[in-house]
Formats: sequence, structure tokens, C-alpha cells
Amino acid sequence: MASTKRKRVSKKLKSAWRKHANVADVEDFLEEKRSEERLGELTTVPDEALFRIDSQVSKDIPVLRNRKKLAAAKELKCFSALRPYTNVPDPVTKRNRVRTKEERQSVFVRNKKSAKTSKLVKQTGKPLSKKKEPKRGEFNTNLWEEGNVNNPSTDEWVDSNTVKHNSNEVRKTRQSNKHKSPAIELPHPGMSYNPSYEDHQDLLRQVAEKEEKLIKEEEHLHRVTRGMFSKVTEEQRDQNWLLDMSQGLANTKSPQEEEEDESDEQDGVTNRSVKNNKKTLKQRRKKKEHLEAEKLRRQLKLQKKKITDIHNLKKIMNNIATVETKQTIRNKITQKKKEEKKKKTKTLSATKFEEPDLEFNLGREIAGNLRDLKTEGNLLNDRFKSMQKRNILAPTKRQTFKKPKVKKFTKATHKEGDWKKSVAKCFKD
Amino acid sequence: MVNRKKKYTSGEGAQFMTRKSALKKLQLSLNDFRKLCILKGIYPREPRNRKRAQKGKAGIRTLYHVKDIQFLLHEPIVWRLRDYKIFNKKVGRARAVKDFEKLNKYLNNHPTLKLDHIVKERYPTFIEALKDLDDCLTLCFLFSTFPSLAHVPRDQSALCRRLTLEFLHAVIEGKLLRKVFVSIKGYYFQAEIKGQTITWIVPHHFSFTPMSKAEVDFKVMSTFVEFYTVMLGFVNFRLYHGLNLYYPPKFSCLQQNNEEKQLVDEDIFVAERVAALNLPVSKTSNELVEDDFEIDKFNADGSEANEEQQEEIRKELEKVKNLKNLFKGQKFYLNREVPREPLVFVIRCFGGEVSWDKTLFVGSTFDEDDETITHQIVDRPSMEKQFISRYYIQPQWVFDSVNARDLLPVQKYFMGEVLPPHLSPFIDPEKDQEYIPPEARALYNENELEEQFKNDENKKNDDDEDDDEEDDNEENEEQEGNDDQEDEEGEEDNEENVSKKPKLSVSTGEVYKEIPWEKSRQERQEFRLREKMIKNKHRHLYKSMMEGKQKRAKEIWLLRKKRRLHDEKEKGQKEKKKSEKPKKKIVTN
Repeated sequence: MASTKRKRVSKKLKSAWRKHANVADVEDFLEEKRSEERLGELTTVPDEALFRIDSQVSKDIPVLRNRKKLAAAKELKCFSALRPYTNVPDPVTKRNRVRTKEERQSVFVRNKKSAKTSKLVKQTGKPLSKKKEPKRGEFNTNLWEEGNVNNPSTDEWVDSNTVKHNSNEVRKTRQSNKHKSPAIELPHPGMSYNPSYEDHQDLLRQVAEKEEKLIKEEEHLHRVTRGMFSKVTEEQRDQNWLLDMSQGLANTKSPQEEEEDESDEQDGVTNRSVKNNKKTLKQRRKKKEHLEAEKLRRQLKLQKKKITDIHNLKKIMNNIATVETKQTIRNKITQKKKEEKKKKTKTLSATKFEEPDLEFNLGREIAGNLRDLKTEGNLLNDRFKSMQKRNILAPTKRQTFKKPKVKKFTKATHKEGDWKKSVAKCFKD
Repeated sequence: MVNRKKKYTSGEGAQFMTRKSALKKLQLSLNDFRKLCILKGIYPREPRNRKRAQKGKAGIRTLYHVKDIQFLLHEPIVWRLRDYKIFNKKVGRARAVKDFEKLNKYLNNHPTLKLDHIVKERYPTFIEALKDLDDCLTLCFLFSTFPSLAHVPRDQSALCRRLTLEFLHAVIEGKLLRKVFVSIKGYYFQAEIKGQTITWIVPHHFSFTPMSKAEVDFKVMSTFVEFYTVMLGFVNFRLYHGLNLYYPPKFSCLQQNNEEKQLVDEDIFVAERVAALNLPVSKTSNELVEDDFEIDKFNADGSEANEEQQEEIRKELEKVKNLKNLFKGQKFYLNREVPREPLVFVIRCFGGEVSWDKTLFVGSTFDEDDETITHQIVDRPSMEKQFISRYYIQPQWVFDSVNARDLLPVQKYFMGEVLPPHLSPFIDPEKDQEYIPPEARALYNENELEEQFKNDENKKNDDDEDDDEEDDNEENEEQEGNDDQEDEEGEEDNEENVSKKPKLSVSTGEVYKEIPWEKSRQERQEFRLREKMIKNKHRHLYKSMMEGKQKRAKEIWLLRKKRRLHDEKEKGQKEKKKSEKPKKKIVTN
């Protein structure tokens, strides 16, 4: 080839240098080095260290249970993705990661701990036992003791975040959402196990009113939706359907009418001459002049009104006063509404809060003694609803997940109806 | 070009955060987030302008304040929740692999949530904790009756049982109970601790009814209970130390080995709990904690109204003082059909002694044939063997007496008697603002009740007389007798008046003769002057208040008048009948 024949090539330019310089050995060396970095040095390791001739039968093949245990002890395959796949060290030295619990400890605490443990270990010769976890249901301090208070806002050693976290203002803003109504609403006297007649009647009246309201709402919904459509027999329905579907399709018209239609269409096709509606220059000028004159007239009127308004001061003042009084009244109403809104349950989620029903005993159910008392209502439900009412919990619906439908089919070999035949067939084969 | 301000980076759009973004920020699962929010007392918010708060997105999302979420971010228990997650995974794997050694190791040192600092943070003072005790007590009492359930820690109901029992003991020792109401839902109790009224509901026995999952989220409720148990524990500690009692109290009847406990069934559990209620708690010192105090007779304004107020307060205090020792010296014996837990609690709260059948339940203190028993509480129509030395009454008498703050006459509550209605003690104190028929008023006032009773008896007598009367003469005699009776009553009334008079009478000076109407005139004038001093701001309110008051008073007056006329009319008719009857008889004769 030409290139091999030529002994010397000018490498004046960078491109020429790149083309003709032979860097294969360098490349090879670098490649080798990289692979070594990745996989470790293989060339220097003798073959004996890497491979071994297995000439003996291993005696103790672990039992199935142990094998399973061993397999379980291995690292999971899914974690291999988390392991580094090369031996090349991470070029980012300060990678942002969550620090471990030990790392999060302050230096002082760590030093102190290590000093203490080393001392103890030296003295006793035993490794230290772990610190005891707090036990549940053990209360042996007075949480609200006066001496026990270390106020973070006055303590200069406390972190500024902690101060903020515990400040009174932050607490107040957190609690501003608190609902006004009490946690335990006092019961209606008619809910007594042995109520007086009036109280009981009052309770029943309340329950009935609520129920009536619900019934009315239901009826309304029915009237507005399903009740709006009259019932139709099947034949009628089919007829209607046919009529609807054949609209504009069937040729029901007489030939004369058709002709007329066609003639109409022809008329419609002919182009009518487009009239030029442009205004003449004169008309434009006139219009402009007219507008200007109107503007002037209005300005003059305004000027005049300003002068006359000086005499009408009293009237204007009255006007302002009425407007202001209206404003104040409106302000009061809005204020009131705001206050009322505070007492109401807020909408915290897409599901609406439903007021629980009142508990009541019917007249015949009241036994009048504790022995035959018929209990009503569920306290847990009552608490749950009360918390929803007080905006502590957002009302939710229970999420139910449907299992996806699995399409079932029988195998081709199982398809035959008579099992004897199929079994016989199997045996024959 | 200048960078334009992006939408929703300030104002309401920046103040709110959806739940999903909060989860992302806190790096917690939804369940953990819910738990954290409940423990820390962070609730979702409603924005003023939903569209802006949701950054233009439609629909209704659950929103939180960004500041609230930032507040949660510093919380150390977030790390604990993550520890839990790791722990669960480890345990799950160990169980799946059947590595029981490891499993035991993990389970033996499981992470626990320490909530002390959160209780302190949410309730910086003891009073604030007391204010929020209603929910806590009701839920704890409810969970104490529950069997072990899915999503509820196994030891939770046992802990609730212990803590509620301790609380009841504190109430008994401090005599803090004020009102009781038996409703179809459960027993309402109202106690007063450090000036805070605390109401809680104790369910009737056998309250647990299995519920569908759709109704109540058990996991959420159990998280609430987890926090409340810690809170109640610390409140108990403080209450016990305030009352000079040892905390935790130890009950001999409750101490059993764990093995034994597993064998015991529910009924015996309840019996033990009730038995524990009947035992006194050991004290650290014998000094009495004097909660009674005299109100200073210091009149700030010097006005009459203030004095009246003070007088009222003093009366109220006196009543409460009486209430505290309502059943002192009384001995109660409970029959087996009576619900023991509430009754033992109530009776012991007011200083009474209780016992029950020794052979049926543990913890009885005296037998049925003890002659010193004053009341036997019975809830059956009749009994074969009865003692003369005691009253056989129905349980409602105890509750009604507590609400009336006095021992009611037992006649109406005898065994087999049809009980008077059990009225709610929680109605408005402003009873004078509405019309109450005399029968109802009598139920609240014992004196009036007696009068009513007498009147009723008189009426009955009258009716009997109507039937018995045969001759004019006899009738006359009877009438005389009646008159005599009335006279006697009058005398009694007079006697009462006489006995009362020395306490209230004011002896007027002889020298200075006062014009009788002058004082009232002066007062009226002063009142009008004071009315004039009302700020413009409150004038309208005051006016409407007074008008309402007048209106209500008028209504009451009208109804009373109607009643009076009605009564008179009836009386007249009766007399007419009386006078007509003998005539007929004469004719027949």
C-alpha cells in the first residue's frame, strides 16, 4: 500500500499528526489499565490462584432446608443494581446522601460516648449492653413540673430551629384550625334510659324532622331524574327507535315536492351580486365631525355640572353617607357569616361529611329500668364522626380495589366432554 | 428580558400543599404520615380560595399548610417511623426465610415510639391537658372494653384498662365527680378537676359490636388511642401526686401471673376490675388535701349585683361541699342483676361503702345479712327475703340523688315501683328564662316535690271521699277533716317560716323611719344611670338582650296564668260535681 511504502510523512498539521502518528501501543496500554481497574489485576495472578481442579467428591451436600437457608443468606439479586459495577472509585467525592444515625450524632456526644464505653469496657472486661428502649405504659416523671421546664426560647444553646419549633406563636397557628364545638356534645335529655315524656317526644320530633328532610330530598331527586321519563312498552320503544334511526333516510316525499326542492337548490347556487357598502369620503368626514361635536358637548356638560355641583354639596354628602352606611351593614353581615363559618365543618376532602343520626329509643322500647335497657348507637362510630366534624380528620371513603377479571379457559386436552374417552386416549398414547 | 414572576409562588398558592406533595417532602408512606399528623396534632386545612391554593387544579384535594409540614420535618419521631419500616422488613424477611433465631432477636428489641415530648409540646401546662381530656377518656374507656383486633396493638386494650381504672381511682379519692347521666348510648360522667369540667362517656357493658370496615378506620382510631394513653398516663401521675397517692397503684386482686391471665375469661376480667374499684388506694401521707377554700368577703365594686353574685358562688360551693359527702356513712349492697361498675364508682365517689355477693364476684367487703346496710340496690320487681332495716331501691335513685345534690326521698324508687323519669343534668342553668310546668320544676326541687306529693295525696283523698261519701252529714264531717288537714299544713308552713326567719331577718332601727319605696326608687335610678353608661358599641346588643328577656318573661307569665286559670276551672268543676253528687243520692234514697 501507498502509506506503508512512504517512509516519511509530513506531520506539520494537527490533522496530519493525528492521521499518521501510531498510538496503538499507548491505546493498548490504557485499555489494559482500565480493564484492570474495572476487574482487578488478572495478569499478575497465577492460574493456580484462580482455578482449581476439583478431583474429590464433596461429601456434605447440605440438606434442602440448610440449602434454602444458605440461599436466603445470599444477597438478593435486586440489590445488585445498588452495588458499584466497577472498581473505579466514585469521582464525586462529596455525594449527597442520607447520613447514618451515627454520623448524625454531634461530635461531642460521640466523643463522650466512646470515652465512657472504653472506660467501662476496660474496667469490667465485658462489652456494653445496648441502651434500653423506653417501655410502654411506664409513667414515672411529672411532665409538667415547674423545675423540669427547660424553655428553649431562653436557652441560648438551643438550635434556632428548635426554638421556632416550640415557640408559642407557631403553636397558636397550628391550633387556629381548632373547632369551636366541644369534644363531647351533651346528650339530648330524651336520650335518657328513662326519659320524661316531653323530652322523649322532643327527641322523636327532631329525628322525624331530619328523616322527613331526607325523604323530601330523595323524592325531589327521583322527580327530577327517573320520574321525568314516562314508561314505554317494548313495541313502542322499537317503533320509536326505527323512527329515530330512519330520520332523513327514507324517501317519503312525492316527486313534485322533490322537483321543487331541486329548483330551490338551483336558486341558491346562483351568485347574487355583492353590494359595495363602503362609505364615501364625505360620509366619513361628516361622521367624524359629528362625533367630535358630541364629545365637545359632553365635556361642556360635565364642566357645567361641576359648577352646579357646588350648590348640590348637601345632596352629595347625603349620597356618600348612604353608601357608607350600606357598606357598614354589608361588612357586618360578612363578619357574621365568617363567624358562622368557623363553627361549621370545613370541606377537607372530596368526600362530604355526613352528620350522624341521632340515637333514640322508640316509645315501646323504653323499658324504664337498667336491666332491660336497649342500648343504641355505637360509641366508636360516634367518636369517629365527631372528629370529622371538628376538622381533625378528613372524611374519607374506604378504598376498595377490585381484583382484575381473569379470563378462564379450558386446555385443549381437557376440552372433550367425556372424561373416560380423554383418559383412555392418554393411556393409548 | 426580565424574568416574569411565576404563578402561585406567593400568596395562597404558596401557603398550601397537597397531601401527596407533603408525603414526598417528608419521605413517608401514607400510613406513617397519617400517624405522624395525629400524634403531632396537625390537621388538614380549608383554604379561602381553593382554586388558588390547589395551584389551578380542579377538584377537592386534602390540603395542608406548608408551615405545618415544615414543622413536622424537624420531628425526631419521623426517624423512628423509618426505623419501624426497616424493622418490619427485617422481621418479614426473617419470618419468610424461617430464620427464627433472627426473628426472635429482632422482635425482642423492637423500636418503640416515645411520645412524652409530644405530650409536653402539645399541652405545655397541666390545665391544657385537662381541657383536652374529654376525647382521651372516652376513647380509652371504649378501647378498654375491646377484644384484640386487627390493626390494634395487642396490649393497647390492657393498657387502656389499667389507665382508666387508675383515673377512676383518682376521681374517687379526690371526690371530683359532679354529674351522672344514664343514656341509651352509655353513662355520661362529668367531673371537675382544677376548675375544668371534664365529660366522658363510659359504654354500657358488652359495648363491642363488630363493625364493617367501611364505617370506621380502626387504624386511625388506634393511633389516637396510642397518643391518648401516654397523655392519660402522665395526667394520672400528676393527679395521684396531687392527691398524695402512690403511683402506680397496686391492687392485690389484679395481680396474677401471666399464664393465669390467659386462662381467665372476659367476665372474670370485668369482675376483677370492679373489685379493684372497691379497694382504697395506698397513700403517701395521711395529710388531707384540702381543696375546700373560703371565698373572701371582699366586694370590689361595692355594688349590690356583685354581692348577689358572690352569694350565689358561695351557695354553689356549699352545695358542692355537701355533694362530696353525699353517701358518707351509707352502706350499699348491690344485687347481682345491677350493673356494678358505674354504681360502685359513683357510690365510692361520694363516700359510700359498697359490697355485693361474695360467692359470685370477688372483692366484696361485707355480707348481705349485715344489719348496718342502709340501702340494697335491686333491679327486679320483687324479692322473697327482705330485711326491714334497709331500703330496697332501684339504681336510678343513686344517679338522681347525685344530680339533685341531695339524698332524694326513697319512696318513688322502691323495688317494683314505676320510676320517675331520669332527667338530664346537663340542661341550661338559665332555667328562669323558660316556662317549666310545676310538675317538672318539682323534680329539680325537693321541697316542691314534697309539696306536690302532699297535694297529690290530698287530691287522692278527695277522690276517695267522693266515692265513699254517702250522707250529707258525713260529707260535712269529712270536709271539716279536710279543712283541719289544710290548717295543719298551714301551721307546718308557718313553723317552717318561723324557723327560717331568724336567719334572714333584718331588724330595722327604730329612730330613723325609712320611706318604704325610697330605696327601690334609688336603686331604679342608679340602674338607669348605669344603663346610660353602656358603651355605644354594646348598646344595641344590650337593648336586644333586654327585649328578649322581657319577651321571655312575658311568655312565662302568660303560660302561668293559663295554667292557673285552667287549674281553677278544674277545681270549680270538681266542686260542682261534689255538690251535685249528694243531690242525686238523695233522690235515689
